[in-house]
Amino acid sequence: MTFIQLVLSGLALGAAYALVALGFVFIVNATGAVNFAQGDFVMAGGYAAILLSTSFSVSFYMLLPLVAVVTFLLGVLLAWVAYFPLMRRPPATVFISTLLCGMILQNIFLVAFGPEARSGPSIAGAGMVRFENLEISRQSIATIVVAIGLIALQYLLFARTQTGRRLRATAEDRDMARAVGIPATSLIAVTFGIGTSLAGIAGALLANQFFVSPTGGIPLSVFAYIAVVIGGWGSLAGAVLGSMLISVFQVIVSAYVSYAVATGALYAAVLLIFLLRPQGIFSERVQRRV
Amino acid sequence: MSVHIPYTVARSRLTCGCIGFLTVLAAGTTAFAADYYLPIVMPITGFMSVEGGSQRNGAVMAFEDSKGISVDYPVFDTGTSAAGAATALDKALSSGEAVAAATSIFGTEMVAMMPVAEEYKVPLLTISGLSKITESGNPYIFRFLPNDREIKVAHARYVKEKLNLSKPALIGDTTAYGQGGFKLLQEYLAKLEIKPVFEDSSIAPDTKDMTPLLTKVKQSGADSIVLHTVAAPMALIIKQARASGMDLPIITSSSLVEPTATALFDPAELANVCAETPSAPEARATPEMKAWADSYKERFGIEPDGLALGQYDGVMMALKLIGEGADTAEKIREAFHEATYQGVAMTYKSDGEGDMAHDADIVCWDGTSRVPGIAAHYAGEEMVLK
Repeated sequence: MTFIQLVLSGLALGAAYALVALGFVFIVNATGAVNFAQGDFVMAGGYAAILLSTSFSVSFYMLLPLVAVVTFLLGVLLAWVAYFPLMRRPPATVFISTLLCGMILQNIFLVAFGPEARSGPSIAGAGMVRFENLEISRQSIATIVVAIGLIALQYLLFARTQTGRRLRATAEDRDMARAVGIPATSLIAVTFGIGTSLAGIAGALLANQFFVSPTGGIPLSVFAYIAVVIGGWGSLAGAVLGSMLISVFQVIVSAYVSYAVATGALYAAVLLIFLLRPQGIFSERVQRRV
Repeated sequence: MSVHIPYTVARSRLTCGCIGFLTVLAAGTTAFAADYYLPIVMPITGFMSVEGGSQRNGAVMAFEDSKGISVDYPVFDTGTSAAGAATALDKALSSGEAVAAATSIFGTEMVAMMPVAEEYKVPLLTISGLSKITESGNPYIFRFLPNDREIKVAHARYVKEKLNLSKPALIGDTTAYGQGGFKLLQEYLAKLEIKPVFEDSSIAPDTKDMTPLLTKVKQSGADSIVLHTVAAPMALIIKQARASGMDLPIITSSSLVEPTATALFDPAELANVCAETPSAPEARATPEMKAWADSYKERFGIEPDGLALGQYDGVMMALKLIGEGADTAEKIREAFHEATYQGVAMTYKSDGEGDMAHDADIVCWDGTSRVPGIAAHYAGEEMVLK
């Protein structure tokens, strides 16, 4: 029963991380650029949630949509600052520019909110929900529900709408998309916005139990990168599965062995994947599904 | 009669965030035309920024409260790293003829700074609890917070004698501070005939998800959680324990007794939580403490804590010795070993190794406020366990 309890906890955390990784893949797919400021947008979402709930008394129902709007706009700004001016340069240039934008964000957080950690609002209130011998916090349930909803929404957006088809066409071949009249530049900016708003929502969901701090996003950027490597580079479903796998793995190994071993084993696994299966664990399956 | 202030430390929470920039500015300055130079070298950024911020506030307030001595006291940020601390202290001490330096609360940083102090022959005034910094024979270290070797006695005794708990889960982090205190608690709990039912000292300070740890604590059948970690993991453990329905008594080290740490909680989440601390100025138990705490709150806009007061008393003692003629680093070092000083928190007297403070309080929260009350006081022989 303890094992199942741990898996449940891992899945709840993985659901939030999946949003971060999903946003990461959106941007990779649309531009080929690795957004290493993705973790800092998680913090931006957390800080936005704190600001909206404390300074503007925004209700629970409006909080996540407003956080999404704020981080969407920041993502569009990121595209104009860190991507468009450099998009004809080598990919490493964009990678560095997003990294620098992340550091600028960290310093903005430091000046605006101070160096100490902050706790965000509770999205679903305190307390546990019990299913026989299993228990899960209301906050975790809210995280899972929101993540499932957003993942479903992005699937519908990309698979069933004209905008989604245009986004996919732009990701496939930007110049060809432009040639057939698709506003590729705007759509790339929108993709950045969607990617960072997913990270922002994850930040709002995590801020209560995991706190936010100016440099708290750095490990999350690394985490998103690892999830994508494991799940399959460029695969949306792989990013979700990779995040879940990593979270459950870390929770289980930390519980039964130690935190240090869990972290070491995770990085060792990533190295092995680089060597033995560079396309990621789930990539083939995902391609077949698509 | 005036104290020279090289820059004004931010009052508001917003401008507190500018410390990093101010630090850069300060680090670029050299000694002003003040009579004495006494730099502040502390973790203003990084995971010890909460503790470092309190410590800095205490030092700054002491300089501002000093009468008749003109002191230049620029702030240098160590960045919560050993290398950063050694570099910052080297820069601070090479920028002027320091009579002393107020230095980091973080034991890992203090260990790195100790050789620098010896090289420049400048006394360091710290509130780091790590035992070994005053036990390594370095004559330039003076600690204004009880040595962990003493305060952990209060921590362990409170668990056994006041709470009557017998099956604690003992948790430490991977910092030198965490490891040192964890071992002392192991030793003292054993002397008190308590065998923890669960032990883990592998928590990295940047660990976020405490679910695995708390699951193991639950499985162990522990009747309490005894924590000795820096503030970040401690706050996460308490927050996530309460969110997962664990209402066990939690007895922590002093990192929790800071307004920026308690601000992370709803008051109800702090019910059944206690912490050791060198003093509890926020409880305002004496008229002197109340006057100081009110003045601190007016100055910085937040409740004070024992860390700020410890550093305040340490700097005030240095200023008093300077006023009495100890006007060089060597004279101050000698005077620290000889003098007795009545501070706001307690009476300070060196034990010959540089440990100046020998009192401790245990404070507890009642679940209705973020300000704790004093539950027990330990001093003298009570801080020794044979």
